[in-house]
Amino acid sequence: MVKVKVKDLTKIFKKGKNIVVANDKISLEVDDGATFGILGESGGGKTTLLRQIAGLEIPTDGYIYFDEKVVSAPNKIIVEPENRNISLVFQNWALYPNMTIYDNIAFPLKNIKMPKSEIDKRVTEISETLNIKQVLKHYPREVSGGQMQRAALARALVKNPKLLLLDEPFSNLDAQIRDSARALVRKIQKELSLTTIIVSHDPADIFSIAEDAGVIVRGKFVQIGNVSELYNNPISETVSKLLGDINTVEGEVKEKAIVIGNLAIPFDKKIDLTEVKVGIRPEDMRISQAEIIKNYVNIGKVKVKVSSYSAGIFKLIVSPISDESIEFSVNSETHIRSGIEAFLFIRPEKMKLFDSNGNRIM
Amino acid sequence: MNSRLIKYIILEIIAIIIAIFWLIPLYSMLINGFKTNFEATATPVLFPPKVFTISSYITVWGEMKRPLINSIIIAIPVAFISTIFGEMAAYFFYVTSERMPAVSNTGFSIISLATFIPYQATLLPLIELEASWGLFNSYQGLIFALLIFYMPTAALLMSIFIPVIPKYLIEAARIDKASDWTVFWKVVFPLTIPGFLATMIFVFIESWNNFFMPLVLTSSPSLRLIPVAERAFTGGYGTLYNDSYAAAVIASIVPLVVFIILGRYFIKGLAALGGGAKGV
Repeated sequence: MVKVKVKDLTKIFKKGKNIVVANDKISLEVDDGATFGILGESGGGKTTLLRQIAGLEIPTDGYIYFDEKVVSAPNKIIVEPENRNISLVFQNWALYPNMTIYDNIAFPLKNIKMPKSEIDKRVTEISETLNIKQVLKHYPREVSGGQMQRAALARALVKNPKLLLLDEPFSNLDAQIRDSARALVRKIQKELSLTTIIVSHDPADIFSIAEDAGVIVRGKFVQIGNVSELYNNPISETVSKLLGDINTVEGEVKEKAIVIGNLAIPFDKKIDLTEVKVGIRPEDMRISQAEIIKNYVNIGKVKVKVSSYSAGIFKLIVSPISDESIEFSVNSETHIRSGIEAFLFIRPEKMKLFDSNGNRIM
Repeated sequence: MNSRLIKYIILEIIAIIIAIFWLIPLYSMLINGFKTNFEATATPVLFPPKVFTISSYITVWGEMKRPLINSIIIAIPVAFISTIFGEMAAYFFYVTSERMPAVSNTGFSIISLATFIPYQATLLPLIELEASWGLFNSYQGLIFALLIFYMPTAALLMSIFIPVIPKYLIEAARIDKASDWTVFWKVVFPLTIPGFLATMIFVFIESWNNFFMPLVLTSSPSLRLIPVAERAFTGGYGTLYNDSYAAAVIASIVPLVVFIILGRYFIKGLAALGGGAKGV
């Protein structure tokens, strides 16, 4: 397959007097057969980066290498997208509406003048793998979203690309089939040991597909690393939020504790700040009527405001009894009625502290 | 009665009046062709014939047959070729608009200029050019001249229809290793068929109705096109009114039939501009 290297890539869009820096000196390396995730808010420059790797956008500055070969240089596409041997699955799948699913999948093979019998064999094979054999004769508008997505994936994989690029490929799918679609992509990627780059705003996509990931904020990579490393040790509040649910509330640093309303988190390290933002993920908190839970620290009494349920977990919104405006989202194993008062527990080692600008201090 | 109903009735009445207004020439053309020459001259133009006769059609048919065939020989290739090339040009401008805006904008300005320039202004050099190439007074010469004027028009019209195709489809095709030729014929063309037909109908009717070009670019009567032949009935020594009307009907039949058969594509093509690529 191929190793992708991006060096100091910059892309500036000029629209009249408006200048938008979509990518600002981005560098990254994706090893042969590895999967890399690009995570960020919408409008952050993720798709622009992917489109430059695909050769659909010309970089304003910087270089892109496939193996050691330069494919894009400042203001220049050296290898055109059709010669890069890549596949791109678009967010809306970009199936050709005038062709049947079969013709859509066969299109890249017809373009390289493959013999008809071989095309037939390959299309049948991939459509069996992706379970879309029954819709091959239909037009894209006649099939479901999940089938369209698998057809787009089939078209991407049938030509044996060296590099697979995925641009938010699951965002238009229903929640129920998203997980199976993710699993399918991951399985195929592993089987073919296909170098893959996925762009998404949804951390679930990144967790299921990618080993390493980079977080783009306003056109810049702010953190690159292993996915669980990013989750557990985000460098800023923004990164921590992009990787999953997290409670961030302001607290006052007192002697031996950080105080949030009537709650007190034991804290004996020396810092210069008097105000900090406390970040803690819902799964690192518990709520109980009992005063002690093993491995957790009781930080005080809270009142349950909202109690809901999603994907096998009871979700609670709780507030310190002294201040209803402060809210924590907490996971719970059992249903707890709203209005009930209980103790809030946290795992102190999982707590993250940020300064007022959102930078991680601890 | 409620005010909405009154408003509706008033609007309907206005629409009917306008429609009648538009249909008067068509009506008078149709009825006067069935009069005798005396009646056509003596009775008011909007009165139906007292004696119904098709004699003028029979007289005129002999003289209109050849021009009718000539016009078909000219207008079909002009409409087809200019729309195909026009669409190719429009596709070129569309795909280069991002990477080479200067090329795209200049080209687009030139075709706009070519469309809006009065063609009478360029006629003298055109006649000289055709004469020196031996194209004057020939089918090829007429086709060539009309193509010069209608190709930019078609390109301009197709430039309105082509951007209906989402750019990502063209990008997907490029990543699928399609050549420009393949992208055009397999993706762009099938998705713009309503726009293509709308443009082709427009160019066909324009070149069918064009009077001035065939008038100055041909000299032998055997090469006369429909509008020129039709004018010949309003001759030097007096006008045969019933024959003129009958000739006008014969001249209008082909564009009318084309519009009646393909008109819904014309409307569909224009409607596609509003609703994205839906319904294609």
